[in-house]
Amino acid sequence: MTLTEKVIARASGVAVVCPGDEVWATADRMIMNDSSGPRRIGPLVAELGGVRDRDKVVIVSDHFIPAANLRHAEILKTTRTWAKSNGIASFFEYEGVLHNLVLEGFLVKPGMLLVGADSHTVTAGAVGAVAVAVGSTELATVVASGQVWLRVPETIRIDLVGKLPALVDMRDVTMQLLGDLGLQHATYRAIEYGGPFTEKLTIEERLVLSNQGIEMGAKNAVVVPSQTVREAMRAVKIDAREAFLLPDADARYLARHTVQVDKLGPLVAAHPSPDNVTAASAVSGIAIDMAWLGSCVGGRLADLRAAASMLRGRKVRVPTLVTPNTADVYRACLADGTLQTLANAGAIVNAPGCGACAGVHMGVAGPSDVVMATATRNFRGRMGSADAQVFLGSAYTVAASAIAGRIIDPRDIGIGGSA
Amino acid sequence: MTPTIRGAAWTFGANVTTDDILPGKYLERCNDEVGQFAMAGIDPTFAARVRPGDIVVAGANFGMGSGRESAPLALKLAGVAAIVAPSYSRIFYRNAINLGLPAVMVDRIDGVLERDEIVISLDERAVINVRTGARFALQNLTGIAREILDAGGIVAFTRARLGQVAVVPETSP
Ligand code: SF4
Repeated sequence: MTLTEKVIARASGVAVVCPGDEVWATADRMIMNDSSGPRRIGPLVAELGGVRDRDKVVIVSDHFIPAANLRHAEILKTTRTWAKSNGIASFFEYEGVLHNLVLEGFLVKPGMLLVGADSHTVTAGAVGAVAVAVGSTELATVVASGQVWLRVPETIRIDLVGKLPALVDMRDVTMQLLGDLGLQHATYRAIEYGGPFTEKLTIEERLVLSNQGIEMGAKNAVVVPSQTVREAMRAVKIDAREAFLLPDADARYLARHTVQVDKLGPLVAAHPSPDNVTAASAVSGIAIDMAWLGSCVGGRLADLRAAASMLRGRKVRVPTLVTPNTADVYRACLADGTLQTLANAGAIVNAPGCGACAGVHMGVAGPSDVVMATATRNFRGRMGSADAQVFLGSAYTVAASAIAGRIIDPRDIGIGGSA
Repeated sequence: MTPTIRGAAWTFGANVTTDDILPGKYLERCNDEVGQFAMAGIDPTFAARVRPGDIVVAGANFGMGSGRESAPLALKLAGVAAIVAPSYSRIFYRNAINLGLPAVMVDRIDGVLERDEIVISLDERAVINVRTGARFALQNLTGIAREILDAGGIVAFTRARLGQVAVVPETSP
């Protein structure tokens, strides 16, 4: 069985599952945010008999913090009140983005089945869990019953080999895949990432792979866990033996792809689609109005450090907003001088959370604005105005473009000098 | 689910996103408010013009992107009785069925003009364009998804599964 099949088999209490089977599985975690969560789920859960196992529920207010208007404040209040009155210990606000907090706190572990009301729920696949997104109403039924129905998906295997060149990062890997395979390649299917390159990746690097799986339509995207995941768990005293599942050697895949990462260069996903991928050099020169470093996939510690390495001793030419995806990332960047470097360069640092990513607040794009961002997706209207254009790139490429005031291949200017 | 749905078509292309169907700025709105913003990202006049019972006929990968359930909910509350498309994004599809909004899959559908009268016949497993007489085979919905749709949505379905008696049949969330 593939890793996804093994996890689903375990969670549904059977020895073997095959693609196409329909199963009822017990969810190990149920995750939601302030937009999808209590405000929509609460009344339904009550109607269905209440929360079945509060220790499995994770709630994070990330979309509407800090509140930009009264409606946001009301949503935050509803979320907080419901979490407290239902005894949800894993409730966080002003701490960062749900998907990043779930991984940072090891609220998900290898081999778990996690169900969440947000498309980027797939991100939790970074540690070898099966993480599947559903809507709010369905999550309410899972929270009340403890179970979710799944059609076992076929698995697409993606092997990554080689070593990344300088100024090329994980995001370039996923953009290459999106450019090659397209938005629908994995619809209704699982993606399983493996290969020598993935073995050494940190969880923060792995999450870029799992996170962007949804942009290929995937039901779930797992990265085969390795020693780095075990060690990260041991470092925070979490039992790493539990359900550490791996795919079988004779697992059957619907398709296999191999990416030689040494061959990659900086890429850009041009408006209006994450699979509209081209070399950064091919769109070099397009003037931008704003740069944004943030989102569950692009506001990681590695992203902010990469941006700082470009911005050191330089100034940005366009408004540049930085949104660390968690408070821990914020504190780490404060401690190591990253925030200082970014601020010296003229960047503005926002509160940790989703920020401008969903076009809600804290840097929404205006009509005809051209934005260069590390956001998850760049569909029309995604970051605000339906007339704005959003280009996606790695933190290196976004920071370099902020310095140039236009899209640029980060290798054209290289890393920055002394502060 | 009613075996036959008849209504006027509203046509859309491929890869309509949930940002098109319900833009992010309306995420702050409550469930019962979103109908008036259906399709606001693509056609701000849609919600005012669509009539109860109308049918959305769209291209492939309908509803991709964000998993916001308020997207299919907005269509349902605006009066859309069913959606016909060659394929859907997985989360959108599941959300639509869970809300009791039939999202019908066809291998192909073409030649449909705005406001053509469309008949979806589940018994005959066909989508028929009344104006042209063209018939398109629809894919049979089976298994648990079919049971959920037949129950009128996942809340009613779950209530039955948990052995609870429904006081009022579930029609909207
Ligand atoms: S950062 Fe963006 S993509 Fe990630 S959860 Fe928040 S809104 Fe969604």
